[in-house]
Amino acid sequence: MQEPKKILKYDVLVIGGGIAGGESAINLANLGYKVLLVEKELSIGGKMILLSKVFPTLDCAACITTPKVSEIARHPNITIFTSAEVTEITKKDEHQFEAIVLQKPRYVNVADCTGCQLCEQACPVNVTDEYQYGLVGRKAAYIPFSIASPRAAAIDIDNCTLCGACERACPTKCIDFTQTDEEYLVKVKSVVVATGFKLFDPLKIPRYGFDKCKNVITSMQMERELAPTRPFNTILRPGDGKMPDNIAYVLCTGSRDKSVGNPICSQICCMYSIKQAQLLMGALPMADITIYYLHIRAFGKGFNEFYAQAQDMGVEFVKGKVGKISEKENGNLILRYEDIEEGVVKEAEHDMVVLSVGVLPNQGIDEVFDNQKLQLDPFHFVNQSDILASPAKTSIEGVFVAGTASGPMDIPDSILSGGAASAETTSYLRRANQ
Amino acid sequence: MEIEKGKTAKYLKEKRPVPKQVTEQLKYFTKIKKNILNALKEGDKTVPQLAEVLNLPKDEVLFQLMSLLKYGFVETGEIDDMDEFFYYKIKSNGKN
Ligand SMILES: Cc1cc2nc3c(=O)[nH]c(=O)nc-3n(C[C@H](O)[C@H](O)[C@H](O)COP(=O)(O)OP(=O)(O)OC[C@H]3O[C@@H](n4cnc5c(N)ncnc54)[C@H](O)[C@@H]3O)c2cc1C
Ligand code: SF4
Repeated sequence: MQEPKKILKYDVLVIGGGIAGGESAINLANLGYKVLLVEKELSIGGKMILLSKVFPTLDCAACITTPKVSEIARHPNITIFTSAEVTEITKKDEHQFEAIVLQKPRYVNVADCTGCQLCEQACPVNVTDEYQYGLVGRKAAYIPFSIASPRAAAIDIDNCTLCGACERACPTKCIDFTQTDEEYLVKVKSVVVATGFKLFDPLKIPRYGFDKCKNVITSMQMERELAPTRPFNTILRPGDGKMPDNIAYVLCTGSRDKSVGNPICSQICCMYSIKQAQLLMGALPMADITIYYLHIRAFGKGFNEFYAQAQDMGVEFVKGKVGKISEKENGNLILRYEDIEEGVVKEAEHDMVVLSVGVLPNQGIDEVFDNQKLQLDPFHFVNQSDILASPAKTSIEGVFVAGTASGPMDIPDSILSGGAASAETTSYLRRANQ
Repeated sequence: MEIEKGKTAKYLKEKRPVPKQVTEQLKYFTKIKKNILNALKEGDKTVPQLAEVLNLPKDEVLFQLMSLLKYGFVETGEIDDMDEFFYYKIKSNGKN
């Protein structure tokens, strides 16, 4: 392998710029530690920055995330690499880690980009917008989303026709197609793993008809439909643009289901579905919302009241196991389910179905550690080796875990976990100075 | 080859030919955009109406139409009498 070009030194390497990694980074930076935050996407903020409102307070997600993200981005002790990945971490000794960080080209000099979007307007290409979870298109020269941090353009090189229109439109001449991969050797004293989670892929349950039936969507897609920066003019069925008025939720899609290899509860789907149901009742006052559930997990502070509030608003809760979803000619969907209370199989018609997809581990981070083993738990999340006394501790001394990298959890718990990781990292770093 | 700031696409084009599928994708969008805008010039339409005129699946029409809405070519009109489908129209101060 080619020698890394540049050597960089920081106190802590934080991997993953979601809310958990961000919280760890900001706490450590406030204590005076120099932090390198490495994020694989074009923006920091993780999943939270793409949510509509958050349970149980119904605060606007962007209103909470944006100030936090800009505090992280502006902090003098935090350096952020976006579109970057850590490819290797070697523990040389206690308080001595060496990481290889691969910075992928964005083809835009971020420092010079004003976010004016003239490149976006000039670009003739239309491809699927991954930040809108496939519901609408985007250009190949694009700002990932309006509240992205950095709010700078990027070129999707795989879909770019290299026509040069973006370059001609750019007033600051910051688009640069000569950029290539850059590798850095980063020396740090400690590492925080905050690589978050991934969503269950509903194609793994073909009987739910995702993709085949166009009006079956995922909860993350509904989250985008409900957000102020939504893909459509209002809430619409992706199959034909009809405004839905009878929406069903299928809880536990890909969770608590051995047949898809994920036997555990995802902890957040009940609550985010109840949240979305409440938001939908506000947005579509005439709509009926039905939630098909096995058990409702409303364990946190204010959660049970939030659940009761949804019931009072008229959300229907059906204790039922959905077996199959099929499509009628008009795009409506027939749900065949077992009514658990009555013990009979029933059918119901809805005009849109939301699959409340579960939380899965973002696999692969353990493979980055080359001379020590980052142990995973039986479900492939990062193992917390001392969960009661030291929840951020992992199998490697000096490597800590924050947020959903260690298992499913909501935002308040991810922030608490990020806080715990920063506290334990601080205590480890202080030992270096003794 | 000398690389001039603001004209670097040319440089990459020499090193990395554009895959055929990317050019095809652009051709498709250019065509569908023209067809949707032409159909809307004839009068405001809902997604099912556009799908019928263009002989395309409704989900495909919605995806492309919403992209055009995002890019400022199209705007939302009234909802139909059944309160089901919106009409879409050419943006009055649009770039057409
Ligand atoms: C549909 C839906 C609705 C939700 N609604 C709510 C709600 O209302 N209230 C609530 O409390 N919670 C809600 N949640 C849960 C919430 O999204 C999570 O609790 C929170 O996002 C977890 O934050 P995190 O930082 O641990 O992970 P993430 O948000 O997943 O962030 C991880 C970050 O790490 C990056 N990353 C991953 N791997 C690497 C790597 N190898 N190198 C570099 N970077 C990497 C990712 O790109 C990402 O930016 C919802 C979740 C979903 C799916
Ligand atoms: S690349 Fe240029 S045109 Fe595009 S947003 Fe940045 S400054 Fe504007």
